[in-house]
Amino acid sequence: MRYLSEYRDADIARSLIARIKARATQRWTLMEVCGGQTHTIVRQGLDELLESAVEMIHGPGCPVCVTPLEQIDKALAIAARPEVIFTSFGDMLRVPGSDCDLQQVRARGGAVRVVYSPLDALALAQQHPDQEVVFFAVGFETTAPANAMAVWRARDLGVKNFSVLVSHVTVPPAITAILEAPDNRVQGFLAAGHVCAVMGWEEYEPLAAKYRVPIIVTGFEPVDILEGIGMAVEQLETGRHEVMNQYVRSVRRQGTPPARALVEQVFELADRQWRGIGEIPMSGLRLRDEFAAYDAERKFGVSDLRVTEPAACRAGDVLTGRIKPPQCAAFGTRCTPERPLGAPMVSTEGACSAYYNLAKYRASDAAEAVS
Amino acid sequence: MCLGIPGKIHSIRDDAGLTMGVVDFGGVRRDVCLQYVADEVAVGDYVIVHVGFAITKVDEAEAHRTFEVLKEMSQLEELDWMAEVAEASLSLARTPDPGAVQGTGKPL
Repeated sequence: MRYLSEYRDADIARSLIARIKARATQRWTLMEVCGGQTHTIVRQGLDELLESAVEMIHGPGCPVCVTPLEQIDKALAIAARPEVIFTSFGDMLRVPGSDCDLQQVRARGGAVRVVYSPLDALALAQQHPDQEVVFFAVGFETTAPANAMAVWRARDLGVKNFSVLVSHVTVPPAITAILEAPDNRVQGFLAAGHVCAVMGWEEYEPLAAKYRVPIIVTGFEPVDILEGIGMAVEQLETGRHEVMNQYVRSVRRQGTPPARALVEQVFELADRQWRGIGEIPMSGLRLRDEFAAYDAERKFGVSDLRVTEPAACRAGDVLTGRIKPPQCAAFGTRCTPERPLGAPMVSTEGACSAYYNLAKYRASDAAEAVS
Repeated sequence: MCLGIPGKIHSIRDDAGLTMGVVDFGGVRRDVCLQYVADEVAVGDYVIVHVGFAITKVDEAEAHRTFEVLKEMSQLEELDWMAEVAEASLSLARTPDPGAVQGTGKPL
């Protein structure tokens, strides 16, 4: 496919790795804040290939992984109601709540459906006027325009049996929280390409200046990621700390203004809980009051639900880079993709799942080599 | 989650005030909301699609240019490596093998 396969070129990747290793006079610590990038880095072994030059810490870049337990419990409570058709992206179905997940609600007879787009959920509401259709609106800034449009369109078309359970988070406050942590080791960031495709990169400039860290807007293919890492290392080696754009083919400074404008009209900034990390001020989005009729929390009275996260899952330490997944005592034993304790083991973009699958892949490769 | 796939716009239409279109992903065609990029795209353009929405237009010229620069760089590098490897084996051939001098009989 054009503009995808080219950026998987092995010769270019090899050359970029050699350049980064030759340029680094010390081992630098970088963080990617994007589950898609984490997946590529671990799956392709880019972190291992660069080990002498760069340590990659996998940040809280997977929206499924950072969705707090209480939002999952709210989803479960709403999905269990007989009048509700609960719709969601597929990867939320197996995220464990306090005592079950959405898949189990479905097995018990709850109407839980996977949709590709929030507009599909809206269409479902139009097809089932006698039922309440709720969409689980999770995601970063990349997904916010789609969810904003579904709500806007529902109001436009006068669809009253549609609402959204919002669990939106934004990247810059998470970067700030990581940099403000007393034990922070991160010296530079790869910013998520598609978040910036929507938002642009202006809001990263004060962060780069204040904390003196390079921030590189980076794409998702191996060549993109290696080029992004190379740009960060070049800045660190020359004592610079600027925002640069590696993903030039898809990201412009202003992002996509019409998408930003609609997000702004439908949502407002709010404090948000991040799973395993806690509350980060003004790090999320909630519906503005004028869209209250489309807020599933208010519609179904679950706003006040509060729960405590299980202590066995060290998702917070993984998501902030304090430990790598295999250092968690539950990794691969009490916590596997089949029976996950925490969200990073569920999503294919979660760091725990990426490490688990890599280990499995290598084991089967080794077994084949032996036989 | 923020997965976005580049696809080529096959057709554009108005759906009760919303700009929609059909986008081709390497042979697979899907309905996509083009509202956010409506002012800057035409049939034949590439867009990045995320959960049924085009979130940005792909700059074809830039995609091509970046790739060519990187490709050229890696090919030059490849030549450098080959030169280095050739140089290393030459110097190896010139330097007497210390093992051989001491007569350990160990291969290099």
